Amino acid sequence: MTDVLFYLLLALLLAGPVITLIAARLRQAPAISAHLLFVALVAGALASVAMLWQGRVVSVDLSCLAPFSFSLLVDRLSAYFLLLICLVGAPVALFSGSYVERHYHGARRVWFWVLLPWFLLSMVLVVTASTAFAFLFGWELMTLFSAGLVLIDGHDGERRGNVFTYLLMMHAGAAAVFAAFMVFLPHSAGLGFAALRTAAPLLTPAARSAIFLLGFIGFGTKAGIVPLHLWLPKAHPIAPSPVSALMSGVMLKTAIYGLVRLSFDFLGTGPAWWGYLILAAGAVSGVLGVLYAIAEHDLKRLLAYHSVENIGIIYLGLGAGMIFAANHSPAWAAVALMGALLHSLNHALFKSLLFLGAGAIADAAETLDLEELGGLFSRMRVTGTVFLIGCCSIVGLPLLNGFVSEWLTFRSFIAGATLPGLAPAIVLPLMAGVLALIGGLAAACFAKVFGVAFLGRPRSVEAADAVEVPRAMQAGMAILAAACVVIGIAPVIVLRPLAGIVLQLLPGVVLPQQAFALTNMLPLIALAVIVVALILRSLCRAPRITPTWACGMPGLDSRMQYTSTAFSKPLRKVFSQVYRPERSIETLPADPPFFPHWIAYRSVRTTSFERSLYRPAINGILATANRLRRLQTGNIQVYLLYMFLALVAALIYMRFA
Amino acid sequence: MNLVEIMAVKTLASAAVFLFITILLIAAAKRTATCVLLFAVQCAVITLQIAASAYIHRSIELLIVAILVLLIKVLAIPLALSRIRTRLKVSPDVNASTTPVQSVFIVAALILLAFVVVEPYVRAFSLDAEMLAAATAVVLTGVFLMVSHKKALMQVIGLLVLENGIFLAALATTFGMPLVIELGIFFDLLMCVLLMGVFVFRIRDTFDHVDVSKLRRLRG
Amino acid sequence: MSWVIDLLQLIVLVAAAPLLRGIIGRVKALIQNRQGASIFRPYADLRKLFRKEDLVPPTASPLYRLAPIILFAATLVAVALVPTLQASSLLGLPGDFILLVYLLALGRFFLMLGAMDGGSSFGGMGASREALVSTLAEAPLLLGLVAVSVLARSTSLAGIAHWAMGRSPFQLSPVHAMAIFALALVTIAETGRVPVDNPTTHLELTMIHEAMVLEYSGPSLALIEWASAIKLNLMLSLLIALFAPWGMAATLSVGAMAMALVAYAVKLLVLALAVAVLESSVAKLRMYLVPDFLGAACALAILAVAFTALKR
Repeated sequence: MTDVLFYLLLALLLAGPVITLIAARLRQAPAISAHLLFVALVAGALASVAMLWQGRVVSVDLSCLAPFSFSLLVDRLSAYFLLLICLVGAPVALFSGSYVERHYHGARRVWFWVLLPWFLLSMVLVVTASTAFAFLFGWELMTLFSAGLVLIDGHDGERRGNVFTYLLMMHAGAAAVFAAFMVFLPHSAGLGFAALRTAAPLLTPAARSAIFLLGFIGFGTKAGIVPLHLWLPKAHPIAPSPVSALMSGVMLKTAIYGLVRLSFDFLGTGPAWWGYLILAAGAVSGVLGVLYAIAEHDLKRLLAYHSVENIGIIYLGLGAGMIFAANHSPAWAAVALMGALLHSLNHALFKSLLFLGAGAIADAAETLDLEELGGLFSRMRVTGTVFLIGCCSIVGLPLLNGFVSEWLTFRSFIAGATLPGLAPAIVLPLMAGVLALIGGLAAACFAKVFGVAFLGRPRSVEAADAVEVPRAMQAGMAILAAACVVIGIAPVIVLRPLAGIVLQLLPGVVLPQQAFALTNMLPLIALAVIVVALILRSLCRAPRITPTWACGMPGLDSRMQYTSTAFSKPLRKVFSQVYRPERSIETLPADPPFFPHWIAYRSVRTTSFERSLYRPAINGILATANRLRRLQTGNIQVYLLYMFLALVAALIYMRFA
Repeated sequence: MNLVEIMAVKTLASAAVFLFITILLIAAAKRTATCVLLFAVQCAVITLQIAASAYIHRSIELLIVAILVLLIKVLAIPLALSRIRTRLKVSPDVNASTTPVQSVFIVAALILLAFVVVEPYVRAFSLDAEMLAAATAVVLTGVFLMVSHKKALMQVIGLLVLENGIFLAALATTFGMPLVIELGIFFDLLMCVLLMGVFVFRIRDTFDHVDVSKLRRLRG
Repeated sequence: MSWVIDLLQLIVLVAAAPLLRGIIGRVKALIQNRQGASIFRPYADLRKLFRKEDLVPPTASPLYRLAPIILFAATLVAVALVPTLQASSLLGLPGDFILLVYLLALGRFFLMLGAMDGGSSFGGMGASREALVSTLAEAPLLLGLVAVSVLARSTSLAGIAHWAMGRSPFQLSPVHAMAIFALALVTIAETGRVPVDNPTTHLELTMIHEAMVLEYSGPSLALIEWASAIKLNLMLSLLIALFAPWGMAATLSVGAMAMALVAYAVKLLVLALAVAVLESSVAKLRMYLVPDFLGAACALAILAVAFTALKR
């Protein structure tokens, strides 16, 4: 039965776009596509739940169709990420059914329904692949299909530039992953994952470190850690909202899957500096990501930077796990790994919820600039409520899912103080402080987002005329919000399968029971809070409506509220070393110099990485390429000379090697 | 053990903590008067420490040193510095090149560095790790104060803190230097402060300021 | 039956919170050579506010009246985690101090949202400043708690209190010294006392917490004021439980309970006196100097954590 559901998922994802293309002329074609996709993803979700529950392994061998060995194997880790994809994909598909109908017409609509299922199929391929060829095939397809989906929204110059940056960085990352697999080759029989797993203990420590570094760079580019995150805030904001949700929520997690598979599964326990490297990358990404997010007032770019921050949090958990494993403490390594994996699922859920909410806002108020929104909660109750749940989850407030994964990560950091070495005993507890700082900054940022966008008075005419989005879009968001609440109140339903997964990755480990005491008590705590809140609510009487106090002045309007830029100013001022904007003030003076015609103030914030890291690197590469151009003289005799020199060199090598 | 003995032992055990707190507070201070006061407090902590050590080891020499430290470093030198400060009539601001937050973080890093650096010596000679690390941290803080502050008076205080640290290091490794050397050092210190006082006034009268970053004529 | 005592702890802490505020106000008044209001004044204020009407701005959403309720509920559940009369608490578990910090953050988050719902400039200003202060205060708070927890080899507040009771009062470890300093600075910031925020100011431009609640009235304001008083009591009780828990009942006898109550009251009075004296002797910091204040707390907390490993 599980196998059948899995095959159904693959078949529908593969065939759905074909049916869409054939039936493109029909009027109901988009509805058919949406329904097919939803059914496929629900089947996939059920299949993965069954696989996690029973511990079954499903395998599909398609080597007959491909030049290299191509097979899929769904073990526990793959089933977990498959569940992630389907659990997020199904509500997104439900949302897109209505969203696409309202925003795209004609050929663009058809292309959307062709590319989206194949995008999801490529992600399924990546997490279930059991040969390197299948993995890389899915990896590259993910990039191509998502780029195609981004271009659906239009292809003017700036958009093309952003997509080009995206494709370039993704391919560089894929090259690094490819190289990582290649280093296995001298010792392994072929590139199947089973062969790689058996070959890993035979490698020299230098080779293992090389594989790890290549994997770190390759998967890090896809995950979006600092300084390889440059493509994230360029590509995610320009995609259609459902696609942004999938890219940010699910595609980044395939990189986490790859990293976990490579380092915990294939390479096993490595030296502690691997863990410190990942820990450092996570800490830097977490803090810088949220600092950049605070300064943004375009909602989607803000959410994209928050993805960088949450990937940083996941990396913190993974790094702690590696350090524990290297210090022979597998119990706490398991807890840290569970925290990181749970945060992957949680982030997928609440980030896609937030992006779908952004799509709903764009649909209703036609703008995503926070400075133009306001007062949406009164006009869009359902969207407001689910968006609030998403905001509370991403901040990590108790009773929602973000708190559980952050709590597990905190527990593992505190347990680091019991390790014998001096370095982990100092570094790991300090990382708890870093995580607390990240959480505090995220709370400030999302208080700003929700407060400016949904509360107070509307700041533009479009925001004042916003209407609630259609039922299908509400339903999609509500499913994700419900999942957040359920995991937050009763995390035991996810923690037990996760325990099974880490048992598979770190065999023979016994989990410390006191690490889960709180998660078992969470339902009780939730009940306590809700009961108190209900008692207080029932004691309230009807209020009286009076205008807001404006120091005695009449006519308080929306311009007197705090804007998003104003809200974040104190934090931006405190952390001004990070932002360093280029500010210029120009005045056009008039004859009496104290009354100029106009004064213009410009403040441009480019992230310093682009200035200090990427530009010099790109210039260096171009300079080297220019110098190499001189080899290509265009003279036939010079080319013959090259061939002659190569022949002589080969003969000498064969003689003396 | 009677009560005084217990108190003496507790004082010795917790002296290092108070020294750390004083150097962190000096780093965070924003007014010159506060720095002078904190220097006096630091010397008072050292006095109590020497007195406790004198009681436990029943040593007259250490008691004399304690009284000398009290008279010269807790009373005489801070009073002299305060008088110089009030007669100098410059702004009460400390005028550092780093913000207080940065100074506090740098001093915290210096404290951690001190612990890491003294570890082999502690193991080889089985000394008190805390005291030696506190001494090293005080020395490093004194140098940092001289580097990061531009006012001449703050440079004097930095030098005095540095001397405190060296004194503490001697205390931690032996029972202090012989009495004659201690007397010599104290009088040198007193002369030093009085001479610096005179110099600071001369600098102020010649250049109209006491900002050492502006004294750059000695260049190649 | 120890859960009865834990429930009693909760009730004592919640009921005594306005009294603590009244005492601090009275002491401050005496220092300023005034007579000051009675120490039971905050109870009268709460009764007055609960009987009044709730005034709501026309732009407000349902979140406006929900925010004080969630703030109060979260603070109340957080109180159930702190041991006061005996070394155990109603909801005490391993790792509960993280839950405590985040429950306080939950209440604060909704208060900020409620402030922005009023649609006035002062609400946004208060929320923005509170965001600054709370962001920078969270790291030192958690690091200080982590340092004490590592030293006590226990991750629940009740366990730390139990361990601290077993130590002698004169054993001053550098971890404790640094952690006390850091947590004291953070307490001042979290509860909004001078020098971070002046709770009795009437000038809007100097407000942080008061600016957020400027629009609230009636029962909503009563809940917010009570929750703020409970938070002050909670932070002070936390300091007592972590660093000076001697006097807590070790057995379940009536005599031990009475002594524990008296000891707790005395310690709380001493801390209240310290807060009142501090508020009367120091000026409020300019807002952009508050990050310096909290940065010093952060450096102290980092040192406390480092010392737990260096002193092993």
